[in-house]
Amino acid sequence: MKGLFKSKPRTPADIVRQTRDLFLYADRSNSLPDLRESKREEKMAELSKNIRDMKSILYGNSEAEPVAEACAQLTQEFFREDTLRLLITCLPKLNLETRKDATQLVANLQRQQVNSRLIASDYLEANLDLMDVLMEGFENTDLALHYGAMFRECIRHQIVAKYVLESEHVKKFFDYIQLPNFDIAADAAATFKELLTRHKSTVAEFLTKNEDWFFADYNSKLLESSNYITRRQAIKLLGDILLDRSNSAVMTRYVSSRDNLRILMNLLRESSKSIQIEAFHVFKLFAANQNKPSDIVNILVANKSKLLRLLADLKPDKEDERFEADKSQVLKEIAALEPRDLA
Amino acid sequence: MARNKLEFPLEAEAYEIICKIGVGVSASVYKAVCIPMNSTVVAIKAIDLDRSRADFDSLRRETKTMSLLSHPNILNAYCSFTVDRCLWVVMPFMSCGSLHSIVSSSFPEGLPENCISVFLKETLNAISYLHDQGHLHRDIKAGNILVDSDGSVKLADFGVSASIYEPVTTSSGTTSSSLRLTDIAGTPYWMAPEVVHSHTGYGFKADIWSFGITALELAHGRPPLSHLPPLKSLLMKITKRFHFNDYEINTSGCGKKKFSKAFREMVGLCLEQDPAKRPSAEKLLKHPFFRNCKGVDFVVKNVLQCLSNTEQMFIESQVLIKGVEDDEEGDEEILKKRRISGWNFREDDLQLSPVFPTTESDSTSEGDRHRDKPEGDKVVITGSEVGLGFSNRKEEAKEQEGEVVGFDRDLVLEKLQLLKKSLEHQRARVLVIIEALSGEREERSREEELLEMVEKLKIELEAEKMKTLRAEKESVLG
Repeated sequence: MKGLFKSKPRTPADIVRQTRDLFLYADRSNSLPDLRESKREEKMAELSKNIRDMKSILYGNSEAEPVAEACAQLTQEFFREDTLRLLITCLPKLNLETRKDATQLVANLQRQQVNSRLIASDYLEANLDLMDVLMEGFENTDLALHYGAMFRECIRHQIVAKYVLESEHVKKFFDYIQLPNFDIAADAAATFKELLTRHKSTVAEFLTKNEDWFFADYNSKLLESSNYITRRQAIKLLGDILLDRSNSAVMTRYVSSRDNLRILMNLLRESSKSIQIEAFHVFKLFAANQNKPSDIVNILVANKSKLLRLLADLKPDKEDERFEADKSQVLKEIAALEPRDLA
Repeated sequence: MARNKLEFPLEAEAYEIICKIGVGVSASVYKAVCIPMNSTVVAIKAIDLDRSRADFDSLRRETKTMSLLSHPNILNAYCSFTVDRCLWVVMPFMSCGSLHSIVSSSFPEGLPENCISVFLKETLNAISYLHDQGHLHRDIKAGNILVDSDGSVKLADFGVSASIYEPVTTSSGTTSSSLRLTDIAGTPYWMAPEVVHSHTGYGFKADIWSFGITALELAHGRPPLSHLPPLKSLLMKITKRFHFNDYEINTSGCGKKKFSKAFREMVGLCLEQDPAKRPSAEKLLKHPFFRNCKGVDFVVKNVLQCLSNTEQMFIESQVLIKGVEDDEEGDEEILKKRRISGWNFREDDLQLSPVFPTTESDSTSEGDRHRDKPEGDKVVITGSEVGLGFSNRKEEAKEQEGEVVGFDRDLVLEKLQLLKKSLEHQRARVLVIIEALSGEREERSREEELLEMVEKLKIELEAEKMKTLRAEKESVLG
């Protein structure tokens, strides 16, 4: 009987089921002290091999392209039960190579469609607490890059991004993108950007609801950070957010605040040209606003000559027609401004 | 899984910079010690962030790759952190520098075959691991293979590497499941034909091609076609009018060097025009050429012990532990620029064939040294550097010894002419160094040079076309 089964090749679903059993084993193994070490190692090696096998089913390998039917079977079985949760909780017990394979496996699964449905999204919707686990990964140097990559893949699903934006997690990103480890901080920054730009309607809704604290924190923690790279990334992302059509209401309110204008004018004076240029792309919105509040007008008028001089000298390294056009428009706006009585 | 990564401190104060050992377009490499870690010697690559694009995507990918890869033949990062406007990447210090600097400073005619096999095997281990991980290095060349004094060999510079599991196109949401890439990246002389020009994209086999070119580079002291401007070398590859195998045989003939059949065959396999015919890295490791390969101890004794250290090499020749070039900038346009900035720097270097008497005559012509030569002889050695292999030089030197006694005006004149030529070459080379160090050469001048190059090539191409046309007509008429 056994021989019969052995000769049959494993189906993708078989591999998923076996992997699940091995995960359960790995999860338990620490609490079984009488277990032989060699036995444990054998099982872990088997687990590593299974994860790699699943990866090559989904991505293909040097000999074969991936087969749609096999991918669908694997994905279906994977999400039929709680395999993703097991994978995430067992990740710390896997070796480096297997962690990388597991991360790529999870990334691919987010994009697999079964009967033209992204079933990963359905699974995550019912298991949103997994995002909390992944989020904690940013604080563990060994796991951060793996959990971080999975996290970014998961927020491809709108429902997941919405959950994260509405949770307390979003606040933590202000700190994570300033972690001393560059690779982790940069990974967090990439995720933060994805979170605030990918799903337009969700982002607009989030910003409208959380405008006050969000921009206050954004200004004080990011735009006024002592860290060059934080300021640089933050000003770029701010431009991307405000210039997006779906955020126009938020933008209009943003450019009516004198606090915001003060910060932007400081960024315009930075010694880094890259920051100056990015700051200009936000500053121009203040100048172009046709309904400028009086206090904004008065600040611009008070600094008129300085601004005109500064802007005239500001040039990107590469020739940029659009930049020049924007600049002359802004120069014209500011030059024409007259002081106003405060209403 | 313990990673030593955690142990390295993440602030500038913990490191003491000793000296600069390399410089590139937007980064410099320093030798430093990590004070709290028993003053371990490290290399620090300092990348100017103000020259990077704001999303830092390619930097993020590079540092992530460097911290997640784990193989003895791959240069990974201990840690990376920002210091004001710079990103510091802390790496192991490789005291002998790159194979490129070793070859150009001490083996201008190429390395002996039994040393080449050792270096190539170590490199191939790295490539095999990378490919297994789904990574293409995309810039394999001697300048990116670093060597330490204990003989350890590490592949470096993941600035343009790519992972087939992480499609760069994030916005469109397309999954690249076909394991192929299409963007152009690399350094011209080492680039596979399908990378330069292909409708179907390229894969791991592009690295195998570059590996083959690297083998030739180690054997001859420079990559094939390097006497041509890089763009023309690309053109040659596209039009396939040039056969690398022929080249290999030709030059090895004129250099009076004998290479084993196994070596020639191995290189030939790597340089198959059709990527499908090239072996995988794993398969190549089983090739007979690597079978009786010596251990790293052999190269320590025969190559590394006669080298000057990295710092000196840098000071002597400005060319560096590579991996410093433009590390940044993901998009294609800038990648192209990278290639150009690369050759400005390197092409001269290779064209003028860095055959310089100071270090070289010390380390290679030991036989001559015992003989306590008259001063006139030194002049001759310098003069004959131009274009002559050092095997010839010794003979000539002997000849000269006799001649010095009976003064021969013509001969002296001829030698002086040679000397003059050599000095001109040196002058040009010094200029290159000055430019590189002062960073005076500007983007524009590079662009202008490129435009000029393009013009020249166009004219040549036209001429070629005319020739072919005429030939065709003639054959029709005939």
